[in-house]
Amino acid sequence: MIKAAVINNGAHGSKSGFKDNQLVNYTYIDVDENFNPDLSPYDLLLTGNPTDHVALYKIKDKIVDFLNQGKTLFCFSGWYTDYIPGNKWIMERDIKSIDIRYFKKSDKNNLLAGVNIHELIYQNGISGWWACGHIEASQGAEIILVDTLNRPIMILDEQTTNGTIICTSGGPLNGKKSKDEQGLHAVNVLYNNLIDYIYKKQNHEQEDRVSI
Amino acid sequence: MSKKIGLVFNGGWAIYALANAPKYKDIYELLYVHDITWDKIEDLDAIVIPFLSNHTAIAKKKDLIYRFLAEGKKVVVEGDSTQEWLDAKWEDRPTNNYWWVENPNNPPISKTDYEHPVYKGLKPRHACWHTHGAYTRVPEGAEIVQTTDDGEIITWQTDKYGGILFGTTLDPFIEHGIRQITHLDNYVDKMTEWLCGIKPEGEFEFNDADYGIGIN
Repeated sequence: MIKAAVINNGAHGSKSGFKDNQLVNYTYIDVDENFNPDLSPYDLLLTGNPTDHVALYKIKDKIVDFLNQGKTLFCFSGWYTDYIPGNKWIMERDIKSIDIRYFKKSDKNNLLAGVNIHELIYQNGISGWWACGHIEASQGAEIILVDTLNRPIMILDEQTTNGTIICTSGGPLNGKKSKDEQGLHAVNVLYNNLIDYIYKKQNHEQEDRVSI
Repeated sequence: MSKKIGLVFNGGWAIYALANAPKYKDIYELLYVHDITWDKIEDLDAIVIPFLSNHTAIAKKKDLIYRFLAEGKKVVVEGDSTQEWLDAKWEDRPTNNYWWVENPNNPPISKTDYEHPVYKGLKPRHACWHTHGAYTRVPEGAEIVQTTDDGEIITWQTDKYGGILFGTTLDPFIEHGIRQITHLDNYVDKMTEWLCGIKPEGEFEFNDADYGIGIN
């Protein structure tokens, strides 16, 4: 079981994005004036969309420690503050929404398996809603998805820290539907793939530790 | 020039992006919701509480907001809200943000008071893009500015607290920060001028240097 902490900025509907299932148990941590959470019980730190990047910057040293313990950070929201080691998000609108497309760049771990990229590009026939801005990725990061101008909008970074960093450029993903449910949208399929990946990685690493 | 309008935010990127854009940064002061004090707002002309705010945190600042209004200033609340701090009832409704593709002659808002200073001179398309819910109760005596075809209240205002409290289930500031709806300069700039007397000038652009920042 993955124990996940979701940083909640208190916006309407912000506690409905991630639902417990057989792989993940979610704890919502509300940001308030005394925000300073203990991350030690968790395997996954999740900053959904929306989240509070001021609060997250305040605990940036804890986040580095968390990652260096081999744990995982998911960020699906434009992180304008500098708390994600090695990777930076930049807001711009250099491409008109109508011209925005996403393309697979690299996928060594099959994170895009079964993901209909067309569904990420279009919603009700309108393009450009899913991701905003782009990522300046660390040198060791794998670029999973790029935009029309070949700029990263989804990355996997297992090099900058001892842990796993997966970010999208503001492209929201959610854990509302498990993979055995009906009517999965691409954002559900992609998110479930990410969970599968870190679940297997976590269990594999635990087996390794036992064998040592 | 001191900044004129406080823009409440709870750490999200869209409001940060808007407030730091060169077009708006000399007018708008970001007010991190957990740090609002009277010292930070007393010299402002107006406060905007955008959609996707933390209304639990805002309720803790209720006395400051009504003290600000009592001084004859303006407060705008957009999108959702709660009765914890507002004498009005907001209710959620499905959001249709693609009506202009499927049925462009049937926008979600059918009636708008175009004599209101924010709306005067706006084209209908600029006065409505989509809504997030509706008000089923507003403060007694409030003036109704926009409604749906079914008569549901989208935008209202009241002067019963001293200044003007303006409520709308439109989400202009969040959407303008996202920059997917490109005509929102019209609405936000009219709103800005109404709130502080200054009409923002220039193109809405972003500076790379505003991203990847540290905070003291």
